[in-house]
Amino acid sequence: MNVLVTGMGAVSSVGGDARATFAALAQGRSGLAELRGFDRSRFRARHAYEIDDRPAPGTDVPLRATGWLLRAVAEALADAGLAGDLTGVPVLVGTTLRELRSVELNWCEGAPFDAARLHFGTALRERFGADRTYTVANACSASLYALGLGTDLLETGEADTVVVAGVDTITESTYGLLDRVYREAPESVRPFDRGRRGMLQGDGAAAVVLRRGPGAPAGARAYATVRGVGLNCDAYHPSAPDSGSIGRVMREAHRRAGIKPADVDLVLLHGTGTPLNDEAEARALGEVFAGVPRPPRMTAVKSMIGHTAGASGLHSLITAVQALHSGRVPPTLGLDEPIDEVAGFRLAREPVTERGMSLAQVDSFGFGGLNAVAVVEKVS
Amino acid sequence: MRARDVVITGLGTAVAGAGGPETLLRGPVAGGDDPVTRLRGPGLRYKDRATRLALCAARDALADAGLPEALDAPEGTEGGGGPLVDGLRFGVVVSTNWGNVDTVCETSATIHRAGYTATSPMLLPNTASNVTASWVAITHGLRGANVTLCNGPTSGLDAVHWARTLIAAGRLDHALVIGVEPVNEPVRRLVGTGGPGLFDGAVSLVAEAAPAAAARGARPLARVGPYARRADPDAAVAAVRADEPAAPARWYVPEGRPAGGDTGPAGLPAHDLSLRWGRSSGALGVLQCVAGTAELARTGQAAALASAGGEGDDGAAALLLLAATAAGAGA
Repeated sequence: MNVLVTGMGAVSSVGGDARATFAALAQGRSGLAELRGFDRSRFRARHAYEIDDRPAPGTDVPLRATGWLLRAVAEALADAGLAGDLTGVPVLVGTTLRELRSVELNWCEGAPFDAARLHFGTALRERFGADRTYTVANACSASLYALGLGTDLLETGEADTVVVAGVDTITESTYGLLDRVYREAPESVRPFDRGRRGMLQGDGAAAVVLRRGPGAPAGARAYATVRGVGLNCDAYHPSAPDSGSIGRVMREAHRRAGIKPADVDLVLLHGTGTPLNDEAEARALGEVFAGVPRPPRMTAVKSMIGHTAGASGLHSLITAVQALHSGRVPPTLGLDEPIDEVAGFRLAREPVTERGMSLAQVDSFGFGGLNAVAVVEKVS
Repeated sequence: MRARDVVITGLGTAVAGAGGPETLLRGPVAGGDDPVTRLRGPGLRYKDRATRLALCAARDALADAGLPEALDAPEGTEGGGGPLVDGLRFGVVVSTNWGNVDTVCETSATIHRAGYTATSPMLLPNTASNVTASWVAITHGLRGANVTLCNGPTSGLDAVHWARTLIAAGRLDHALVIGVEPVNEPVRRLVGTGGPGLFDGAVSLVAEAAPAAAARGARPLARVGPYARRADPDAAVAAVRADEPAAPARWYVPEGRPAGGDTGPAGLPAHDLSLRWGRSSGALGVLQCVAGTAELARTGQAAALASAGGEGDDGAAALLLLAATAAGAGA
């Protein structure tokens, strides 16, 4: 048995679908802009990676995240050649903030909001008839965690097809608390750079269709196989990461995938641009890939779409799959002076082309020490 | 007992007026203390109510299962897990719908009133809906897969299902499952206070791979039987009963089921726990499983049926709890 990726969908600040998003990332185009969603006088921070599809400037409405999720799922289903009926098909949605932005609008501005829409099953049932839906609130690693849970359903024989998705929108409470926490407000996300000040959030959604192999079903193509997903928890701190535990989950993903570190051609980094995450991730990678003669290519797409939180793991995975197929590796923007911990890593500030890549590692870590790492392989 | 069987070995409750799992079928005793007053230790001030309630229920379930309080303490020291329980193979699955709504509403209101400088940076982790599961993991050293389900009315039964799936897939040997809902002003406004009122509490159970439980000499209270999630509540119930000969002695019905009364449609004695404990949303499925497991262990009945989500909800789930002894406990 293997797990095939047969369809992909994405929405982000740089593109309305998976291909447009990848095309922008591969050119190094950023979705960074001045903050549009909230009253700027209440914050010191000035920037975010938003999808500004509000009806009018300064007018926010509930359920925008739900709308992006439905678009990403519809795109992935069409891409996989599936009709839009998900009766009996498990759908897992990873998210940090669910529809909590709608709850804020309800609490602060009296916008109408039905609590049954705080989780995404209600909208998925209406749109796709989906009746086996799971909203997995696993912080910033939620969609890659959901990918691991989805592969478990295929491997234990509980399902033949699974849809895994991720979605998040920026809430005012999280935007304000991040602003409160950082010493200086970040003006952009600059992963692994000495001048990084912290993360800025991004809006977006992503979805993939997974099928049980060996081969793709009739009428479908397979982009990649999910070779293995490692999941764990630091049990250390509510927000600070633990590099030892991150290294452990990377080795676990390699073990499940049946690969050695030297087999990895490309790493999509978690790379949030926060002082603590980048240091911990780089240290773990340094240990896991120690002694590998030619380290893999690496990049961090949060430098262009911001931290899309619950969607970020799948945004990275979809980028990895398209990079393996095209040979185009998106740059890591803002990487002017790399930190010592990434010395020797093959990170680039500019787009690069590298032929012959087939295996990618995707990192995703979240608050509460929730770590998920996936290994995907290109299907030619 | 088959190698893939998952058994329940410990139960915990943190509900005002409940004396323990075996009292859940009776209903609250008046004047019960708020369970969170039992908590001690630093950092409590910044933990939200859902987290405090969950920590109380988790501690009781671990103790009931005969497990140490700290799985990551060095082996051989007080609280150390010992050779038979590995914190890396011990996960957490939390179900909650309203868990961190208070932090989100209050923080955004503060920002509206006085800008970001008026917020407390210590509250940042509480904005993410997994904060309760992460504090449970930190407190007890549980370093396996850690999952928070915020999945509407079926969320608690879904959580038990995911704990079993994580064990069946070989990721975990043990999982702490918690259902928790807090009551506060933002929750009241979001959910409404009608009907039987709102449940304010947490319940917890320890699920383990049958061989792992047997290896450490744990006493299984019940087995986790078939689970299904469907559009239609009757279809979910029919699916879990299809391949299971054991007739349930009791049916824990979805909350607010209009039929009411003491008998379910299939002629089974019905229990709507929300009539006794309030509408419990994401905690319901775990509440049903804790009450049902205590009842099976006490009576020796063959099975209990739990179901959540009904007409008008986005889905319905059903799960059978089976007697621990039917397949030979400890085999």
